[in-house]
Parts: sequence; C-alpha cells; structure tokens
Amino acid sequence: MRRDDLRPAVFGTATRDRILVRLALSENGLHVRELARQIDSSANAVHRVVIALERAGIVVSRPVGTTRIVLLNRRWYGAVELRALLERLAHAYPEVVERARTFRERPRRIGKPL
Amino acid sequence: MILSERATLVDVAFAACTVLERAGETAVLCGGSAAAYYVPDLYQSLDVDFVVEVGAAPHVVDRALATLGYARAAEGHYRHATLPYTLAFPIGPLAIGREYITSWRTDRRDDLLLHVYTPTDVVRDRFLHYWAWGDRTALDVALAVARTRAREVDLDAVRDWTERELAADASYDASRIGRFFTLLRKG
Repeated sequence: MRRDDLRPAVFGTATRDRILVRLALSENGLHVRELARQIDSSANAVHRVVIALERAGIVVSRPVGTTRIVLLNRRWYGAVELRALLERLAHAYPEVVERARTFRERPRRIGKPL
Repeated sequence: MILSERATLVDVAFAACTVLERAGETAVLCGGSAAAYYVPDLYQSLDVDFVVEVGAAPHVVDRALATLGYARAAEGHYRHATLPYTLAFPIGPLAIGREYITSWRTDRRDDLLLHVYTPTDVVRDRFLHYWAWGDRTALDVALAVARTRAREVDLDAVRDWTERELAADASYDASRIGRFFTLLRKG
C-alpha cells in the first residue's frame, strides 16, 4: 500500500477501509494472515485494526485451530447498511476486489487440478 | 460493597449495576448473562455483559467497580481477584439485530437494583445468535427462556421481529424461525 494513497479512508485509514471491504467480499471470513496478504499489509497492523473493530462490534472472530477467522458481524445493528456502503466503497479498491475474485474460499478436493 | 467468596453471577450483576447506577451510569445486563439470570438452573455463564446506555467515561466505571474489587484487565474486561466472573461492557447502543432496545426491566433486591433485558428480548437475542451463527446452544437457551418464562415472553412480538429482520436481510435462513417455533411447541 502506498503512503501517498489518496483514496477516501472513509473508516479513518486506508487499512481499515481495505480490511472492511475485503471482509464484505468474503462469505466465510478470513484469518488475519490471509487478510493481511490480501490487502498488502502486515499481520500486526491488521491484527490491531481487527481488535478495534471487534471491540466496536463491527466484526467478530472465532478460533479455528491456532488462528482466528475474522468476519463482519451480521448481528451488528448497522450490518445491512455497512455492507451496502462497503460494496460501493469496493470500487475505490479494485486491486482488493481482484484478489478476492481469484481467492478460493470453497473447499477443494485433494488432487483436483487447479 | 463487599462481594462474598460465594457470590453468584446474579449477586455480581446486582452489585455492579447498583454501583454504576450510584455513579450516574445506567448499565443493562444483556447477552448470555441475561439468559443465565432468567434460567440459572439451565444455563450458566462466567461473563457478565452490560451495555452502558450512554457511553460512560472509563474512569467512572473503573472507580465504581473498584469498590467491588474489580479492576480493568489488559483486554478491557474487569476481573476480580477471587471471583470467576468477568465483567464486560460491549459498546452500545443496546440493540438486538437492527432494533434498538430503549426499555428494559428493573428488578430490586433489598437496596440493590438490576437493569436487565426483558425475557422477550433475551429470547430474541439468543435466537438471533443461533440465527446468525448457527449456535445450537443459543437456540437451546432461547427455548429454555421461552418455556420457563412463558407468561412473560411475547411470542407474537418475537415472530413479528423475525419478519422485520428477514425483510432487511434476506440472507438469513428463514427455516431457522420455523425450527424455533416447532421445537417450542414440542416442549
């Protein structure tokens, strides 16, 4: 991510925007390292933002093995409006959308050719 | 105020709500701990969740809870040196799904008080947990409260609310509403 990025930072920083946009594009959530990889940020930076968003109730996480899967909190009182806004905001982050498009969340049979 | 070593979740909830009220903050017991309040024999929790109606300054909460022996821990929860119950203050406003909660029940015990979700709101809250995440334990708790507190739970209000939620977010699985009411009828 470039430091002179002039995109809107609707949620305060470009990292927050990217995290939320990427989560809005995810059906089952992502673990922090994968989320960081998908938005070109460090795992530590993403982890810090995720903790703040979780405290605000906007995202939730659940443990899976030794990691945590993060996803938008559909129980949050503004979840529907937030998702609609993020779907609009995604147009400002085409590279995030493109990575999400090529990232496979569904299960894949072992040995099946890519 | 001294909490005994044998204090229960309900004792802690009353004490915490009272000291916060005296400090000028209205805190409402919600989530799983509100369910544990209504069906203590069927569901227990070690987390006491309050939403403070208007965002309280942390130092006000710190000072009030310190009188009970609770101190803020690194993760933002409040812990007691000997009691297992953790006090947490999820960020408000009070809401169940898309609907804000503007009224609640206030129970009194001697000179203590407790603001808590109504039984109907506990059923909605626990059912929503199941509806959103598929959590079967939350479904069982919603059913337990609906059965145990049948006279106080407005099932028509629950059903109407599910329809409003579904109208706003069609991705919710409508069959889970049917499952809840079918299981409730079976008893």
